Parts: sequence; C-alpha cells; structure tokens
Amino acid sequence: MEKTRTRTDLLDPFLVAQLGGIELVARGIVEGFLAGMHKSPFPGYSVEFTEDRPYQSGDDLRYLDWKMLARSDRMFVKQFEEETNMRSMLVVDVSASMDWAGSEDVLSKLDYAKRLVAALGLVLLRQRDATGLIAFDEDVRTVVRAGARSNHWWNLVKAIQELGAGGGTAAEPALLKVTSLLRRRGLVVLVSDLLFDRELVLRALHYLRHRGHQVYVLHIMDPAEFVLDGPPEALFRDPESGTGVIARPRELRSVYHQTVKNAIESWRAECRRGGIYYHHVLTSTPFGHVLRELSARSSRLG
Amino acid sequence: MISFLQPAALFALVAATIPALLHLLGRRIPPTVSFPAVRYLTATEKEHSRHLRLRNMLLLILRTAGIALLVLAASRPAVETGSGESHMPTAWAIVVDNSASSSAVVEGRRVLDELVTVARDVLSRFSDGDRLWLTLADGTPRQVSRLEAKAALDALAPSAIRLDLGAATRAAALSIQNEPLVHGPVVIVSDLQASALSQGTRSNTRIIAWQPNSPPANRWLDSIISEPEQWSPNGAVVVSVLGSEDRQGALRLRVGGTELSRAVASPGERAILRGTLTRRGWTRAVVELDPDELRIDDRREIALFYSDPASVRLASGLGEFLNDAFAVLLDGNRISRGNQITLGELSAEGVSIVFPPADPALTGAINRELRALGVNWQYEQLMEGEWILPEDIGPAAGIEVYRRHALRGSGQVYGTVSEEPWLVRDGNVVVVASRMEPEWTRLPVSAAFLPFLDLVINRIAAEETWLVKASPGDLVDLPKSASVLFGAAEEQPVTVPPIGRLMAPLHPGVYFLGGVSGDTVGALEVFVDPRESRLATADESDLRGSLGDRAEILTTGEIGRELFRDEGRTEIANLLLILAAIALLAEFLVASSGGRARKAG
Repeated sequence: MEKTRTRTDLLDPFLVAQLGGIELVARGIVEGFLAGMHKSPFPGYSVEFTEDRPYQSGDDLRYLDWKMLARSDRMFVKQFEEETNMRSMLVVDVSASMDWAGSEDVLSKLDYAKRLVAALGLVLLRQRDATGLIAFDEDVRTVVRAGARSNHWWNLVKAIQELGAGGGTAAEPALLKVTSLLRRRGLVVLVSDLLFDRELVLRALHYLRHRGHQVYVLHIMDPAEFVLDGPPEALFRDPESGTGVIARPRELRSVYHQTVKNAIESWRAECRRGGIYYHHVLTSTPFGHVLRELSARSSRLG
Repeated sequence: MISFLQPAALFALVAATIPALLHLLGRRIPPTVSFPAVRYLTATEKEHSRHLRLRNMLLLILRTAGIALLVLAASRPAVETGSGESHMPTAWAIVVDNSASSSAVVEGRRVLDELVTVARDVLSRFSDGDRLWLTLADGTPRQVSRLEAKAALDALAPSAIRLDLGAATRAAALSIQNEPLVHGPVVIVSDLQASALSQGTRSNTRIIAWQPNSPPANRWLDSIISEPEQWSPNGAVVVSVLGSEDRQGALRLRVGGTELSRAVASPGERAILRGTLTRRGWTRAVVELDPDELRIDDRREIALFYSDPASVRLASGLGEFLNDAFAVLLDGNRISRGNQITLGELSAEGVSIVFPPADPALTGAINRELRALGVNWQYEQLMEGEWILPEDIGPAAGIEVYRRHALRGSGQVYGTVSEEPWLVRDGNVVVVASRMEPEWTRLPVSAAFLPFLDLVINRIAAEETWLVKASPGDLVDLPKSASVLFGAAEEQPVTVPPIGRLMAPLHPGVYFLGGVSGDTVGALEVFVDPRESRLATADESDLRGSLGDRAEILTTGEIGRELFRDEGRTEIANLLLILAAIALLAEFLVASSGGRARKAG
C-alpha cells in the first residue's frame, strides 16, 4: 500500500499532470510502472526465443518451459533474445472532440492521451522497439517516423507537446498511413475517443491486422461522457460537428448510460472478432493501470 | 351525486395545474452545453423518445392526479350511499320550547323532559361544520356550538315565560337566511300550543315541527280581581277559572298560611273569595286551585291593599265640573269628606291641590302663598294655544289643553305639556298649570276627567300605592315614585331605573315597590300568561297558517329521515387520500426508475 501511494503511475491522472511537463510525467509514470515489472513488459513483440536455462527462485512462472517440464520432469525457464528492429506506431486522435473535459478536475481527453502516449513510447523505446507517432484529426497532422535510438523519445515528446486540437475526425487516412511507415510486422496503438465512423475505422484496423500488425485500440472517454449529467434541460452541442440535441439528463441518464455501454461492447466485440485488442479508458484511470493492462494483454496475445 | 362538505377547499384545485405549468415553463430555450458524445445522446433519444414521452406524460398525469386527489380529499366529498353520517355544512335552527306549559306532566313524565330527549336526538345528527341557532323560551335565537347547545339542553328547566312560537320561529328562520352556508330547516321541538302560534310574515324557510303527544286536560286560574282594589278591611277576590274539561275544583284564598276563604268553581265560572285583612298596607296573598297536570297555573300570588279612602275638602268657586266629579268620587267611596287633602286652595294642613286663579290678577297672590308655604313652584305667564296632554299623565293622555300657566321651580313633575311642567308637586302642594274648565282644557268635559281626578287625589296627593300586573319577562311601567323592587325576603332588591320601566321578574309572585322615603308605594303581580295554560296543540294547517306552506309536523322518526336527507352520504376523503398516496408513490417509482437503473448498470 505504501508503495502504491508513492508511485505516480497509480495516482489520479489529473494530479499527476500537475507535477510537470509531459516528459517528466511520462518518465515518472514509466519508472513507477517498470519498478514492479519484468524488464520487457511487451515481450511478445520485441524478443525471440533462444534457449532454456534452469529455473531459479524468483523467475516469472509465465516463462517456465512446460513442455520440457513434462518431458524431463525438470524446470527450465525460456530465454529470449531481444530484437531491436521491432517497430511500433502510436496513432493519436487530436480532433476537436478530444480537446474536452467534463469537469475542471479531470484532464481533457487529448491531454490524457498525450501523456499516455508519451509514457507508452518511453516503455517501448526502453525495450528497444522502434517507435513512431502519427497524429490525426480529419487528416494526418503529425508524423514521427519510428526510431529506436535512446534520444528518439525526445523527438516523440517534442511532437506530442506540439499537438493541438484540430477539427473533425477521419482515422482511416492515418491508419492507412501506418502501412507505409511499418513495412514489417509491428505494433499499432490507436489512441482515440472513437467518435467517428466506426465501419470505416474498423475496416482500416482489420487491414492493419491483416498485414500482420498487432493492433491496440485505446478508447479514451471522459467520465462525463460515460455518465450523463448537467442542467435539468440543455442543448448538448458537439464541438466538433456543431450538431446538437436538446435533452434532459435526469430523464436520459440511465438509458444514455446503457447506450454508451452498448457502444463500448460493440467496439469490443468487433475488435475481438478481428484479433484487435480493445481497451476502454476513462480519463480518470491512472496511467499505470492502462500500461499494466496493455502489458498483460500483450503477453497473452504474444 | 357528490357533494362537498368543505367546498371552499376546491379553490385549491388550481394547484393541480402546477405540474402542467412547470412543464410548460420548463420548455424555455435551454442552455447550451458542449458535449462531444452527442452521437450517443442522439442515439439514446432516437431509441427512447417514445418511451420518454410516455414516461413524462405518465409523470404529469400522476402528479396532477396526486395534487387533485389531495385537494378533493381536503374538500371532504361525500357520495350518496344510502348510509353514512355526512352532510354539507348547513345552517340549522332549533327552537326548544321550555315555556311555562312545558312543565305539564303527561303519563308521569314532564313534557320538557320529552322535548329535551327529542332535541338531543336532533342535535346528535349535526356535525361540527354546521352552524346552529338555538332558541329557547325567551324567543331569541343564539348562535351556539354543538357542545354549547348540549350544555344548554342539559341545564334546561321550565320557564315561566310565555313563548310566542310563531315569532320565535320566524326570528330563527331569519337567522338561517343570513348565514352563508346551506340553509337547513328550523326544527321546532315544542308542545306546539295553538295559542303560541302568532300570525306574522310567512317564511320561505322549511320548518319541521315535532309531533307532540296529546296534551293533558288542564284547568287554570284565568283572572283574579280584587274588589274593591282598596280593602277596608273587608274585601273580596273574584276568581275566574277556565279549563279544557268541565270538572269542578276547589279554590282557596290564603294569607300567610291562614285560609281566608274557600269556594268551588268549574271551568268557565267565577268564584268570589271574601276575607278580612288584619293589617293596613300591602299584604301578599295566595289563590290556589286544586292541582292538575300543569301546576304552574293552579296557584297565584296576589297583592291586597288595605287602607281608608283619602279625606278631601273641596274649596269653593272651582266650577261645576269639579263639584260634580267630587260628588261621584264620594259616592264611589274613592274619597271621603275630611281635611287630609284640600282641593282647590292652599292649606297649611294636609296636602293641597291648587289650580290657577280664574282672574290672572290673583296670580301674584297665589305665588306669594306658595312661597310662604316653602313651595318651589311658581305660576308664570299665562299662555294660550293648543297642546295635547302626553301619556305621562295617564288617563288624561290625548286631551287638549288651550290655556296654561308656565310653571317655574323645582320638585316632582308628574305631567308635562310640550315638555314643560304641567302637573307638579313640591312638599305638600300639588300644582296644576290649567284650571279644570272647558276654556282651559277639554279634560273636564271628557270621560278621562274622573280617572284623572282620582289619579291626582289618590295617587299624587294622597300618595296611594299602585298595583301593576305583568307576566314574566314583560316590560312594565312602574310609578315614578317607585325606586326599588322587593321580592321575597331572600331575593336582592332591584333598583327601578329613572324612566320607571323594567322587565318583569321571570319568577311569578308578588313584588313590592319601594319609594325614595322607604315606604311601599305599590306592588307588582307577576303571573304566568294565561295563554300558556291553553294546552290544545296546533295541527299542520294551524302551523302553515302561522309560518308558511313549508311548515310540516313530523314524528321523531320522520324528522330523522327528513331533516337529514343528506345523511345517506359517506365521506370518501380517506379513499381519495389513499388514491393520492398511490398516485404519488407511483410517481416516485416512475421518476426514480432511471436512477435505480443507473445504479444497477
């Protein structure tokens, strides 16, 4: 418990964001995150098996060679050879809808995504994966080619810091852009509020999966989008499209909540069907939880 | 048919429009909220708009129904069910006749007890929302609560007062008509004497009279006259007996427990009871008749007066009219010859009655004589005209006066003309402002002359006492010399107001009038009005003839049915409260269903 309280990766994202710039926050998050993890949190992507060695107390049981144990009744642990040319691409939605927070004590979806992406990039770079960045709104806005050098993270951070809210949203050009940037099998992480045409995006994601990439979708959502609240009656206007609807939150709260949950489940089901990992992330979720979830997923998928 | 026991509460039904008004007012242009996930909201609206509209409509209906049901419950609606005890707030009047006749006994039970039982039964059916007017024997309607009416009935005793049932009922009907509530009937609980139903304005108010039992036979003392008024010391009392059946009864005259005389009389006959008084002055006597079912009219106290006639000396030169009148009074034993009173000139002895001199030149001389005797009154200028003697001169009221002297001075004034003293007394001198001649006044040639002279000699000069007869509660005029009224020894004396008029005591008996000097100046006989003794009951035609066509006579059971025709109603306020609670509970469940669903989600 005491350890948990001192780890910034497990603190309220809004409070963590007050500690400093993106690079400091991301580094703090990653340090905290890696403190309790294996050196390679995403082994399924960045390392290849080389040999077994005898099991020693403290070794992760996940890497126990069960087949060897069955054959020889002796415990061996798998040894991996790290691979440095694994490529990852972080695809970030910077549309207008991302630049919104439901209250003053939570980060906007964009701010949350920027810090999360920075932290994720640092983790990937630390395990020597070449990591790049694509930011998009209705078009591709920023592209940082994948790199694996130790100072590449600063390029990523600089690009992330410069990201501002754009206009509408069109994810498929950005995802298709990934195919030109990741020629070999790699990792694609889409960070977005997914407030766009689902069919088009899913088609692009399936295409990436078809090309052999592992695809993660991080669905960023503000708590206020998850649970409807507000004045007795209000005109709810979309800052991105300008469309609006008059509604009474008290009356609609329950059915709206159900609608959102249905949408999340629908995304989750569609992604699962295509071998895509989907994770719903509220902006109130500590960054460490998200990274840990991704780490666990990558192990299973890998 | 629904009626409302508190219809004023229905005004609050306006509150039932509050939910609808809030709904309409809530439809103003709402504030704009930035919200990226509008697509989810739009989808939600699309999917649930019909459900939401129905839910909102249901909430509106439930809220409106809840408020309306609460308001309706507060207005205490009642529906005809054939049973139940509710009626609309109503102004009722009940006349309970505890007059003298209610003390009669029928089949061993006092009539008043029967009346009180019936009245209690009627009262028990009133509700607290009603306004009740209660009239007793005094005939005055009083607005009372149900408890006050019950207390009044509990304490009710027969009164010696005569109740004019017709007038009392009309007054009660008027009281109801002035009420803002529903007008109920006047209920008469009485022995319904036909003699009590006076004629008057016929009322439109419904009048329900209880059907009394058959009255008992009654025999009563109708009139008692002392012959002569002034005993010497012998005298007689002429008693008239009336009754509803021809049955003889014994009459007795008693004084202080001693029976002076006895006689027998049948109804319609007169009996003379002779006796001799042993003491001068006033004596309280009692005339008794054999008792029957109504005792109050079988015994009456009377006042007898024993004294010698005033002795009068007539001066010369007073004219033929005074001479003739003097002779008649002598013959009638109203006066005797003597020096107690001197009529027509001033005398140093006894009491003098003086008239103005025929020659105005002698006015100064008579004034000097008056001053010499210490009399404060003086004859002033002679006036001619035409004035009418007012009522304060008694038998001479209405007689014209053509010539009179102005009287200046101070002392007792017994009569005025044009509000100026005309007949006065100071000390032992009675002064009259006009001569008793036709040129001065029409009095000597009128029939009122003898009574007037009798008044001046016996009542004013000789200060003979007065006998006044009245029924309980009557307004009576007493002689101006009376200052206090004495009853029985244990009763407190009553001061007579300066105007000489007061209400006769409610208890029958003899009361003596005390003068300023402490002597007894007269007596007041108070006895039950003989009309109370006529117990024959009125039928429905008599009732309608007196009170109008909406009057009817009903038995006790019929009154219960007719009077509270609305009683077949049952209040449904509790049912409405339950329905209101159900509506509001349903509203709460529907309104909070969203919250519970969210928590479950």
